[in-house]
Amino acid sequence: MDLFLQQTTNALALGGTYALLALGLAVVFSIMGLINFAHGELMTIAGYVLMYCGIAGVPFVVSVPLAICASMVAAVLMERIAFRPVRNGSGATMLITSFAVAMILQVLFQNFISARSQAVLLPAFLSDSFKIGGMVIGVNKIVAIVATVVMLIFLDRFMNHQKTGIAMRAAAEDFAVARLMGIRANTVIAGAFALSGLLAGVAAVLWVSQRASVDPLMGFTPVLKAFIAAILGGLGSLRGAVAGGFTLGFIEVYLAAFLPPELQEFRDPIGLCIVVVLLLFRPNGLVPSSVLKAVKV
Amino acid sequence: MKHVVLSTFIAASLAMPAAADTLRIGTATAQTGALAYADAPTMLGMKMAVDDINAAGGIGGKTKIELVEKDVRSDPAQTSIAAQELADDGVSVIVLPGDSDPALAAIGVVGAAEIPAISTVASSPTLPEIGGDYMFSNFPGDNVQAAVSAKWAYDQGYRTAWIVYSPDTQYTTMPLYFADVFTRLGGKMLGQSTNTLGQQDFSAIATTIAAQDPQPDVVMTSAYEPDFPSLLKALRAAGVTSQIIGSDGIDSPTTFSLGEVGEGVVFTTAGFPTPGSALEKFNKEFEARYGKAPDTIYSAVGYDLIKVIEAAVLKAGSTDPKAIRNAMASLENVQGATGTITYAGTNGMPIRQVSLVRVKNGAREFVAQPTPDPALIPEPRME
Repeated sequence: MDLFLQQTTNALALGGTYALLALGLAVVFSIMGLINFAHGELMTIAGYVLMYCGIAGVPFVVSVPLAICASMVAAVLMERIAFRPVRNGSGATMLITSFAVAMILQVLFQNFISARSQAVLLPAFLSDSFKIGGMVIGVNKIVAIVATVVMLIFLDRFMNHQKTGIAMRAAAEDFAVARLMGIRANTVIAGAFALSGLLAGVAAVLWVSQRASVDPLMGFTPVLKAFIAAILGGLGSLRGAVAGGFTLGFIEVYLAAFLPPELQEFRDPIGLCIVVVLLLFRPNGLVPSSVLKAVKV
Repeated sequence: MKHVVLSTFIAASLAMPAAADTLRIGTATAQTGALAYADAPTMLGMKMAVDDINAAGGIGGKTKIELVEKDVRSDPAQTSIAAQELADDGVSVIVLPGDSDPALAAIGVVGAAEIPAISTVASSPTLPEIGGDYMFSNFPGDNVQAAVSAKWAYDQGYRTAWIVYSPDTQYTTMPLYFADVFTRLGGKMLGQSTNTLGQQDFSAIATTIAAQDPQPDVVMTSAYEPDFPSLLKALRAAGVTSQIIGSDGIDSPTTFSLGEVGEGVVFTTAGFPTPGSALEKFNKEFEARYGKAPDTIYSAVGYDLIKVIEAAVLKAGSTDPKAIRNAMASLENVQGATGTITYAGTNGMPIRQVSLVRVKNGAREFVAQPTPDPALIPEPRME
């Protein structure tokens, strides 16, 4: 039983990180219809800020907000420089643009920082653990779970009670009508990117504190996971992104924990099969977006 | 047809005169991407060796070395293309990336062109076996490293072990060799876990190992960054106190900057700068040249690679690829930066030193440099 509870804690921590990542994709998608594959590079940027802060001896409590801010600024700049000119382009145009942004950033990291992985100095307490009952829980798990809960509460308040948040929800529902009501498109879109940058920044801190290094290509895996989680949850739906993230986290951890050893090699394909089966039963995702033109079956 | 004849003629006329006083070495290595962690520092060592040799007048005082560099971005397909371009360019030796899988992608090219190829730091003993006569390796084999670390673990009194490996690449299956040797010595394997390359979260594996009662004495893995730090942190956070044994892939700055978590990790690698050793001298020269000490053993191994080619050219007395290949296969006790290197009597997997290193206070601590017992070294495993 302890083992099950402990693996559930692991699943919650991983699922939470995936949920933050998927939310970052969903916020932008719900408004622009763009899947931003450069989302992972926002994480890489935050990771490099953590790395440089570590080298410069900046305390962790300062470097974390700095890293998150850097990711937000980068997200807004990304929108201003790369996505605004193609805003009225087709979905494919925007998708290709996001791939281009991701690749350009990766090459810049490779050439101006290093092609190799760089170590990130982290405070020792993140590797500690403590005992609750019969369970040993790592500090980084607690941090991941707390950070996810705080971000979800913040997001809920922001979307339901803040003017910009409400405007974003309106824009997600019907952008044309929202603009007729006097909502500025630029503000809403820039806001969505800033929000996705914030989510990427928080996720990056959690991600990097596990791996203790950053490399130019590190954004690929998280954005892939986020994409799967967002699809599983229902593309464009924020609640769906959270549900998808947690589901994916639970699937991955439980398979790694409880699949018999001889099947462990097939863990990833089995996990993806479960996702496909879930989608067969719920083709629009776990919590479909109410406004996007979803597939009717 | 006319074009083919003409271009062959041009290629021949360009390559031939140059061959008389210049040895052209083509490098199709991974300067970017997932394998840059190994190939980028290797290249620094190679360049240092080339400059040293050229400054002394070239190989044997007459043949200057020229590097023709291509970055393959850690991609097997790109490696094959780059190797073909280098072969067409008429180079005498091709240097391939530091992992068996991209290196294997170039087999067809080097075999057909009959140009000797040598991988920077690939350590899978299957590489030269599958690669044929023209494929050489430049690193202590996975099976040799595993034999050394398993023997060490057993001699320390450790009797139970757990391995974490990934079937994704040849290199990350090294723990299977470890399990083989460890059981033959009389140790007991408590279990094994697999991970995928680039896996971020190891908490499920760590919790499983922590739940063993009693915990294994040793956890052995050949994961490297970014996987290794994640695994190690997860193990320690889950309360696993076992001795962690790794391999040369973690001979990198990240491992030494992990703080408390990294302390006590032991890994096998291709050398240690003991006082008065060739490696100590190399490290000093490297620092004088690049302004900082080498991050990893790979730079010294890159230096060795050029020294091996130099020795082969000297022995062959020509820069003809075929002659170099035959000479290389018969080399004995070439003095490199990490020690001596022998190819004679092997299938292309060199006999080189293996050192055991422990992480202590964020730095390297020498553990041992044993000569592995040949009877303990497992047969290469075809996957």
